[in-house]
Amino acid sequence: MSDIIHDPQARRHRVVGTALAVTVYLFLLAPFLVTIPMAFGPANSLTFPPANYSFDLFRMFFRSPGWLNPLFESLKVAGAVMAVAMFAGAPAGYWIARHEFAGKGLLTGLIMSPLVVPTIVAALGLYFYFSYLRIDATTLSIVLGHLMVSLPYVIVMVLAGVNKLDRNLEFGAELMGAGPLRMFVTVVIPQLIPTLVSAALFAFLLSFDEVIISWFLAGPDTITLPVKMYTDLIFEVSPVIAAVSALLTAISLLVTIAAIVLRKGAPVDT
Amino acid sequence: MDKDLIALSPWGTGPLGLSPTERSRLTPSPFEPPGYPMTPTSSLRAQAIFMSPATLIAAGIVLPPLLFVFYTSVHGLALSPVSFSAVLTSTLFRQTLSTTLYIAGLSSLLSLFLGFVVALHLARQPARRRGFLMILVLLPFWTNVLVKTFAFMIILGRDGLINSLLSWIFQTKIELPLVLNLFGVLVGMTSYLVPLVVLPILASLLAIDRAIYRAAAIMGARPARIFWTVTIPMSLPGVFAGLLSAFVLSLGAFVIPALLGGPRDAMLSNLVDFYNREVLNWPMASAIGVLLLGMAFFFAAPLALWRRRKI
Repeated sequence: MSDIIHDPQARRHRVVGTALAVTVYLFLLAPFLVTIPMAFGPANSLTFPPANYSFDLFRMFFRSPGWLNPLFESLKVAGAVMAVAMFAGAPAGYWIARHEFAGKGLLTGLIMSPLVVPTIVAALGLYFYFSYLRIDATTLSIVLGHLMVSLPYVIVMVLAGVNKLDRNLEFGAELMGAGPLRMFVTVVIPQLIPTLVSAALFAFLLSFDEVIISWFLAGPDTITLPVKMYTDLIFEVSPVIAAVSALLTAISLLVTIAAIVLRKGAPVDT
Repeated sequence: MDKDLIALSPWGTGPLGLSPTERSRLTPSPFEPPGYPMTPTSSLRAQAIFMSPATLIAAGIVLPPLLFVFYTSVHGLALSPVSFSAVLTSTLFRQTLSTTLYIAGLSSLLSLFLGFVVALHLARQPARRRGFLMILVLLPFWTNVLVKTFAFMIILGRDGLINSLLSWIFQTKIELPLVLNLFGVLVGMTSYLVPLVVLPILASLLAIDRAIYRAAAIMGARPARIFWTVTIPMSLPGVFAGLLSAFVLSLGAFVIPALLGGPRDAMLSNLVDFYNREVLNWPMASAIGVLLLGMAFFFAAPLALWRRRKI
């Protein structure tokens, strides 16, 4: 930074800064440093570090219907949310980025509002609304609820992706006579693939990890994995949660790495 | 380059006789990229195809729940403010409100400090190493809050990691109450918010022109002085954005106070859940929800306005 003037204090400042930063990194990573070793610990105790290592907890998880059913429910919901959010969000994000139209501010404000609305308010409202429609406690209701909070994220990511594209290619396609739809499919989508893949992954993850809305909407047959985890953490903390945590962390890690790798082509500015 | 583009484009002049750039300057949009003007919609049919799924979701899923909450809070068409006055006079609500503001404020400030340290470190790394270190920040950001909460139960618990470590060091039984109290909530909230604060501050720091640092150094400024007169002032937009978004997000915290806090550390979200699930008083739950929504919008508004002005 100050390559020109050598200040004996600069080095000391940098060392202090790095030491503080490493402490914060450790604080941020502490949850993983604890849960992942515990996931391979014994099945009957919740102490750290574990006395011995095994796959017992994972075996317990994959043999218990009490955990497997919520896992499948979550996978089902997250898959559906991902598909619908991409189907609705990708074209909308593109159109919002490129076009001016009547009522744009109002419509985008409404679609984006779940980014600011506290999730508990959304959850309470969805609970009233779906009870009124008599679809409460169904998988459909959870999918729709998660869609409400996942869609804005997909649109924001697509917007950012479209804003980085070279618009001249679209002008070119348009001048050559391509209609908006054809241009979107043949010119925009191929350039947007990294953005679309990471948006889809994040939509999946957002739904897969969502707690509050599921907590309000889940019925006895539609318990999602986070709801099962939350109730367990309230009533009796079982060691299996360490294994579940390790699995959830692995999924988050995959998505994070995929997102970073996919962004590498694009200039990083946010 | 910009002008060539407009000259080339079929939308060179807009319907109002203004060029798209002029129009976009008059009506700035938060989503507009610099340099590329927006196009007025030429085909309604195309717009219907592109926008209708999202519009259907906005009209069918996003709006009704909010209307239902408002509707329930005023007892339907009776439009009665009974629940609001009941909420505002209830000691439980007032206590929870002050706890909420206190926890949200304190944990946002804590995460601002920790997040700034990390952002500063990241900004000084070469791009490749920054990419790796970003994983360390983004992984907690995208990890289920229940995983982090569970981990902090283990770390901070009565026989948890910290207490066993202290007991081993001092060779006596130490059982510091670190969880199910304010401390536990603050630790959990801070861990949850730091990554959120890092990203905008890092963006601000990376946007600082290196030449300014060099100029300050040539003029004889020491690192400490450069830090206080260049780095801090120029990172304020990111600090402001990070602090406000952390505060707005923490106002609605639910899982962390429920699991890491004691009964006295319940926040407004937990009160909504309590009225909805235990008391079955839906107008009360809705009234609290409306107040919480109002607070979130009140604190998010400066952020939205500021983002709009930036472009």
